[in-house]
Amino acid sequence: MGLIDDIKSFSEKEKLGAKKNELLQSFLAKGFPTIKEEEWKYTSLKNIVAESFSVEENGTEISKGDIEKYILGFKYKIIFLEGVLISKPNIKGVDISDFSNFETKNDDAIFGLNSALAKKGFTIKVENNIILEAPIEILFFSNTKNNTFVQHRNKIIIGDNANIKFVERIQNLSSTKCFTNHLTQIHIGKNTNIEYNKIQDNSANSILIDNINIYQLQDSNAIVNTLIFGGAFTRNTLSFEQNGSNCDSNMNGISILDDNQFADNHTFVDHKQPHCRSNEMYKGIYLGKSKGVFNGKIMVRPDAQKIDAFQSNNNLLLSESATIDSKPQLEIYADDVKCSHGCTIGQLDDEAIFYMRSRGIGAEEARAVLTYAFASEAVNNISIPEVKKLAQKLIAKKLNVDLDFNL
Amino acid sequence: MIKITNLKAGIGETLILNGVNLEVKAGEVHAIMGPNGSGKSTLASIIAGKEDYEVTEGEIGFEGEDLLELPPEERANKGVFLSFQYPVEIPGISVSNFIKTSINERRKAKGLEPMPTPKLLKMMREKMELLSIKDGYLSRNMNEGFSGGEKKRNEIFQMAMLEPKLSILDETDSGLDIDALRIVANGVNKLKTNDNATIVITHYQRLLDYIVPDFVHVLYNGRIVKSGGAILAHELEEKGYDYIIKEADKKWA
Ligand SMILES: Nc1ncnc2c1ncn2[C@@H]1O[C@H](COP(=O)(O)OP(=O)(O)OP(=O)(O)O)[C@@H](O)[C@H]1O
Ligand SMILES: [Mg+2]
Repeated sequence: MGLIDDIKSFSEKEKLGAKKNELLQSFLAKGFPTIKEEEWKYTSLKNIVAESFSVEENGTEISKGDIEKYILGFKYKIIFLEGVLISKPNIKGVDISDFSNFETKNDDAIFGLNSALAKKGFTIKVENNIILEAPIEILFFSNTKNNTFVQHRNKIIIGDNANIKFVERIQNLSSTKCFTNHLTQIHIGKNTNIEYNKIQDNSANSILIDNINIYQLQDSNAIVNTLIFGGAFTRNTLSFEQNGSNCDSNMNGISILDDNQFADNHTFVDHKQPHCRSNEMYKGIYLGKSKGVFNGKIMVRPDAQKIDAFQSNNNLLLSESATIDSKPQLEIYADDVKCSHGCTIGQLDDEAIFYMRSRGIGAEEARAVLTYAFASEAVNNISIPEVKKLAQKLIAKKLNVDLDFNL
Repeated sequence: MIKITNLKAGIGETLILNGVNLEVKAGEVHAIMGPNGSGKSTLASIIAGKEDYEVTEGEIGFEGEDLLELPPEERANKGVFLSFQYPVEIPGISVSNFIKTSINERRKAKGLEPMPTPKLLKMMREKMELLSIKDGYLSRNMNEGFSGGEKKRNEIFQMAMLEPKLSILDETDSGLDIDALRIVANGVNKLKTNDNATIVITHYQRLLDYIVPDFVHVLYNGRIVKSGGAILAHELEEKGYDYIIKEADKKWA
């Protein structure tokens, strides 16, 4: 028995309805993506889906203490358990409600599967001109007794002239495996700014496939910060579609992996309109036998003139057994475009380590400081001090040092 | 304070130091001179604990302890400081953050609490003034894009902050303009007490006009081939190394 069989028997038992059933059948006809597909070349789901998972939500509970351990303590908190909303804040001009009318996209297997299996989706609707000082914290907990395959489905629709920040965290509290198919679509109105922070520090028995699709209208600015520290397997797909002129799409990523952790960042910026910018900076730090994948695609369509697109992917391999596969993918069909990309893979500088040690800084700490320095450019792009601090704390923890990187 | 006995060291098969003997007592200033490639920086690096070099024979005692047994950070914590001939650039770390980390890591090693930030900043201001260092410097990345002279001044700034017992200044004068040389040398002199000691590695008498040594040594082919008082440096400035080299080559042929 593997996950495919689990999904099959679930669909036979449960009445999904005609539309969902159709989506499910088309998923089952192809199954999970394999390494034969270009987009999954370095990312194998084979061992994961060979295992058995429960596809049903089996009504679990969490305590207040569990929640408190993982919140950053902002004013506005939205909390989900097994994909079901359990707590939401009252914010003027912000409406949080469910929906069950799922569409799908192209013939993306993971997307289709999410549409077929997700019971409820959640929409956060933000009216025009809403400016929130405090970020909205969104927490997705799971706490099941068996290995479970969970779907999260979210839609965030933000009006014009708004300014909103989000901090998102997915947390598995149980000792069983949790495989999450997490899908978020964000529509951003004209002249609106958003910052979306993803803290991926899940437990070691967690598997995540995360898709975020961002749709921007003119004069909007979107920032997505992805911080990967935990989880056994993470596949992030982050896409921006620029549907108006003068849009900014920004991405910062920091991954610090060790042991057998795996993380894949696939990004895609679709420049469809002129006078837009995209700026992408991903930093990867790999210890132990960890493995990283980066694939950054930038598409500049024929009418998208005067585009400024910048991409960098810098990696530190801190162990002989760690690996990274990095690939930029530029497709440019307009002629008045500034586009640059760069990828580096390196080690720590021994001279610098000796220099620091000669100043009384221990070897471990010297390595940690240099590693932090490597990541700091991306950390400094996080605008929320609490998130920045958490990132620093988690980096120190991951590198096994008791250091404060701030002055 | 430091006693080096018959120190032999090298890299791989090549021997760079051929039996160095040197003793420096508290309160003293020693100058080491010698032709390029004679092993001055190698000696300094070995004292600081650079692991690239293999010590095949000899000892380094520091206040009665075997220095060679200690990792570089512990040597630093015991009071050894090396001003690098080629200071290393550390992108991503500001000067203030770097110094804060090194001071607090040393305090941690001694079982002390971290130094409160206001106190630390006040101390930095004082030492910056001592060395005529401009504002804005603390927030720059460590040595990144620094001019040659700025890097050297940054070394002495760290020395001033860390208050070492034994300072080894490896060609700290090269790259400094005339005014900077005087400022840095004055700084070094002000930091001098009866309890600390300085080893100055230099090619030029000029620095020794400011930092007057008690002893001058000539290192050649990995050996100290001649020692004398401050006057020896003047003699070398005049005559060059030739006559010493000839003597040494005869002696160790
Ligand atoms: N890491 C190393 N690898 C190989 N050779 C080295 C290394 N370090 C030093 N050497 C060699 O050892 C010798 C002594 O070098 P060192 O840097 O100690 O000389 P120095 O006296 O400081 O010279 P200078 O006056 O030019 O600074 C030189 O021949 C040098 O090439
Ligand atoms: Mg030298």
